[in-house]
Amino acid sequence: MNIAVCIKQVPDVPSIRIDKQRMTIIREGVESIINPLDCVALEAAVDLRDKEGGSVTVLSMGPPQSEEALREALAAGADRAILLTDPNFAGADTLATSHVLARAISKLEPFPDLVLCGSQTIDSDTGHVASQIAQELDLPQVCGVNEVHVEKDFLVVKRVSDRFLDTIRVSMPAVLAVSRELCVPSHIPFAHLERAFSERDVIRWGMDDLDLKPEEVGFKGSATWVARLHTPPAKRKGEILSGSPQILAGYLVKKLEAMGIIDEEDKKP
Amino acid sequence: MKKTRNRNSARGVWIFGDYRNYFQDRVTLQLISKGKELAQKLETEVTVIVLGDGIHQYAMEYVAHGADIIIAVNDSRLKEYQVETYAAVVAEIVEGYKPEILLGGATSFGRELFPRLAKRLNTGLSADCVALEIDPESGLLIQTTPAFGGEMLADVVTPNHRPQMATVHPGIFKERPHDSGIVGRVLYPEIDIRPDERVQLIRSRPHRTGKTNLEGADIVVAGGRGMGPKEAFEMLYELAELLGGEVGATRPAIRAGWADEERLLGQTGKTVKPKLLISLGTSGALQYTAGIQGAETIIAVNRDPNAPIFKMADLALEGDARSIIAALLEELRKRV
Ligand SMILES: Cc1cc2nc3c(=O)[nH]c(=O)nc-3n(C[C@H](O)[C@H](O)[C@H](O)COP(=O)(O)OP(=O)(O)OC[C@H]3O[C@@H](n4cnc5c(N)ncnc54)[C@H](O)[C@@H]3O)c2cc1C
Repeated sequence: MNIAVCIKQVPDVPSIRIDKQRMTIIREGVESIINPLDCVALEAAVDLRDKEGGSVTVLSMGPPQSEEALREALAAGADRAILLTDPNFAGADTLATSHVLARAISKLEPFPDLVLCGSQTIDSDTGHVASQIAQELDLPQVCGVNEVHVEKDFLVVKRVSDRFLDTIRVSMPAVLAVSRELCVPSHIPFAHLERAFSERDVIRWGMDDLDLKPEEVGFKGSATWVARLHTPPAKRKGEILSGSPQILAGYLVKKLEAMGIIDEEDKKP
Repeated sequence: MKKTRNRNSARGVWIFGDYRNYFQDRVTLQLISKGKELAQKLETEVTVIVLGDGIHQYAMEYVAHGADIIIAVNDSRLKEYQVETYAAVVAEIVEGYKPEILLGGATSFGRELFPRLAKRLNTGLSADCVALEIDPESGLLIQTTPAFGGEMLADVVTPNHRPQMATVHPGIFKERPHDSGIVGRVLYPEIDIRPDERVQLIRSRPHRTGKTNLEGADIVVAGGRGMGPKEAFEMLYELAELLGGEVGATRPAIRAGWADEERLLGQTGKTVKPKLLISLGTSGALQYTAGIQGAETIIAVNRDPNAPIFKMADLALEGDARSIIAALLEELRKRV
């Protein structure tokens, strides 16, 4: 079973700070990590390969430094890593991103039986890319997958969707977007990381390798543009009260009484 | 700039009718109401597209909530929500009528269908919007969506592709009242439906993780990381019981195991609209506040006077959430 896994290098979102004057994120001191759900997809792919045979290819579209994420993926057990990088790829929305990824997947030999993605990223959180890769490659898809069983040339998967637990039979090749419940990524031994960074290769494909044109990729190939960034509006500006816990609890009681949630009369003498 | 279709010929605000259960139904109703507003500015009509088997009652509901036109594809082969087939059918109809805007709820199904559909139509899509407006100058749909982990909001536009597509978080917009006196038009287009044989739903069961009445609660007591440890968080259950409310929690509180996943409030959790929400030891990250902004009154307790949660609180109390709740419980116990 040959599996392609799409991963993204993302800033570790909780450590992001914003320059509110310039409306940009401050990148200094922000660590880059593999998007956590992509680690789940990668772990699942490696497990499936170990059971079923075949290979795992990881792909990432991103700036040259995304290579680190791919090396980490090699250390986690991937057989081959491909970095899709080109100055023209910058500024891509999900439409343009999925176009590059789908084109790269279509060039893999043999064509993968399974494409795995994380259900969403922690930085942009759209959850679009898996569905859009599936559409472009004209493959069936299942999102939010939390269980996978391989039968001959099809998979039986489970997922929770809008309060329904679905069991779905999907023929391969297929695209699956995985949920956190699928598996727990294992710890990568330091020796594997060292080896991946010193001895392994990361293949690089640019626009020309993928037979793509500048107007199909990156900012130019994107349908959506960010017109403006702003901070969420402050909805209400109440006064901030401070004091001892008893005093503050007293304010709360008054407010609850004023709202008719508790009655003054209930008070025991 | 790439122009895939003449954008000037596109007309109408369309909404995908997601009716699989009550909550999905509500988000469609909320979108019809917002869609009316957008349509007025564009001097056009609101159309709801609904696919399935035996969907007449939904079509009537959507009309009663303000839809001008219903496009109904009623076919037993559409009985199950299947993303490949639904995307193909909706795309065919959209290509025929060329709406200017196409909106859907950010439900699990909406989040699966809309990206596939957008790709099929070669247009843009913004995810999980929290506001939608028409730009008075360009007439473009401004799709406001959280960015950078919710620290900021991004106004996204789709200048050259049609339709302009967005999914919207449930609970953001208010539905219009039901009015069975409204008359709408229902169209039944002829569509060649070919179910995708490659995917087969073997079984679908309602999945309940537990029972809370968070969405319907009049009072919600929500705790965040600052309400820990577990023993301190437990006080919230007593408080909720005394006030006749429900307990909600932020992501860190759930991750720490102080509350079950079904109590998660926010973008990836539940949206609540209580009369009163008391938010304790929560910083006020947008992903969380997305779920509580519909509350009529918000009381926030935080020991940091600069916590963003105070910006949306009607009553802001600066102090240790645990001691304040302990003092409040002591006071309330005297009363019952
Ligand atoms: C893609 C994505 C989706 C997300 N979806 C959600 C979601 O749906 N819901 C959600 O909740 N989060 C969500 N999050 C996480 C969100 O970004 C925040 O991290 C989270 O809401 C913060 O929770 P918190 O306020 O409890 O914790 P913190 O941000 O750690 O804040 C704790 C606050 O408590 C205060 N505090 C600490 N101790 C005390 C004390 N003793 N007394 C009083 N105050 C105290 C501190 O001053 C601080 O302000 C999401 C994140 C991402 C990236």
